[in-house]
Amino acid sequence: MLTGFDFDVIWRSLSYLFLDGMVFTVQLTLLSAAGGIILGTLIAMMRLSSLAPLSLFAAGYVNLVRSLPLVLVIFWFYFLIPWVWQWVTSAPRPVPVGAFLSALITFTMFEAAYYAEIMRAGIQSVRKGQVGAGYALGMTYGQVMGYVVLPQAFRNMLPVLLTQTIILFQDTSLVYVLSITDFLGAASKIANRDFRPVEMYLFAAVVYFAISFTLSSLVRQLQSRIAIVR
Amino acid sequence: MIEIDNVSKWYSDFQVLKGCTTKVAKGEVVVVCGPSGSGKSTLIQCVNALEPFQQGDIRIEGVSVRDRKTDLPKVRARVGMVFQHFELFPHLTVIANLCIAQMKVLGRGREEATKKAMALLERVDLKEQAPKYPGQLSGGQQQRVAIARALAMDPIAMLFDEPTSALDPEMINEVLDVMVALAQEGMTMMVVTHEMGFARKVAHRVIFMDKGEIVEDAPKEDFFGRPRSERAQLFLSKILQH
Repeated sequence: MLTGFDFDVIWRSLSYLFLDGMVFTVQLTLLSAAGGIILGTLIAMMRLSSLAPLSLFAAGYVNLVRSLPLVLVIFWFYFLIPWVWQWVTSAPRPVPVGAFLSALITFTMFEAAYYAEIMRAGIQSVRKGQVGAGYALGMTYGQVMGYVVLPQAFRNMLPVLLTQTIILFQDTSLVYVLSITDFLGAASKIANRDFRPVEMYLFAAVVYFAISFTLSSLVRQLQSRIAIVR
Repeated sequence: MIEIDNVSKWYSDFQVLKGCTTKVAKGEVVVVCGPSGSGKSTLIQCVNALEPFQQGDIRIEGVSVRDRKTDLPKVRARVGMVFQHFELFPHLTVIANLCIAQMKVLGRGREEATKKAMALLERVDLKEQAPKYPGQLSGGQQQRVAIARALAMDPIAMLFDEPTSALDPEMINEVLDVMVALAQEGMTMMVVTHEMGFARKVAHRVIFMDKGEIVEDAPKEDFFGRPRSERAQLFLSKILQH
């Protein structure tokens, strides 16, 4: 069955696949994970706020984003952001922001909703007495969050945050609908150019599996180590 | 120093505090006791506004904690508090637990904060534990660290919310010893506790609460010698039987 396989096409395109494709994928993953965790933490704090408008807004945001298919949001933002940017800067015509920036904004805002739910659970996992102790020492809300609650919330939720980031790593492959050269996009372009779809998509699957599986195993190890420390 | 003036508090329909009024003068040690659910913990948590209350007022050196204009963090920084479950920060070492508020709230430098922290750890006999994490310490040691943490802020008064209730019996005394020493140095203290031995030894006044009311507020000798209310008599007979 494997007789018709042309493994050479993979070998020939390795540098394009990894230096162009995978570098983009990893950059997009890390930057949108960082942005998503920061934004998500803010949204989680808003959601847990006692001020009704803040918590309603945050809950609305999370529920809206989590109810939309990611591909739709990717398309939507790609076409919408130039118009929004035109409106913000009152430029004469829609401003193209480039595929990378558009994808980065999309993933940051989309993933923020998921990270927000994780961080909400993390913040709630910190005992209420800890908050009281912080306030009793004269800390402000910001200090209690920054020095007492969030460090513990991050530590408690680290395995879940990393697992969500592995999902994000896989989800970034959806940018291929914008003809962006991420890892899957690169594989797809070569598949079309050299008429080798079976080899390229199979190879892409193997690479995604190897990376995701390795990272998941590392997260599991980390999880058991954290469990001992606590 | 601490004036509690007609304080009432409700959890929706349920009234947990009913017009509580009392004072703690400078250098005075006041023990608050009463059956569980009597509102004594709630009352002490109201003193530094960790719990909000709907009626009345509490003033610390004349500054109202209920007034919206009051800078609450500033008031709280001057009043030390010790909790039933210690509430040390588990992600920080013992020494960092003592330093963080000194540095972030009082703006002390690392060196000054560390010096102060080490002196206090020595005082509670835990100098060797400085680099450890709270989880590595026994309950009694953790509570002594918590007292040292509160003292590091140079408080004008100390609030203790059932500081020995979560401890194993053999660890209660090491914590009480620190508190007795503190009382004898003239620290202003308000202590919610069932430790009547502590009250007999160092308290100036005893407040007895039941069902959200201050039922009895008397000098120690009067409270133990001839409690006026039936409820206090009943409580004392139960707690002092053995």
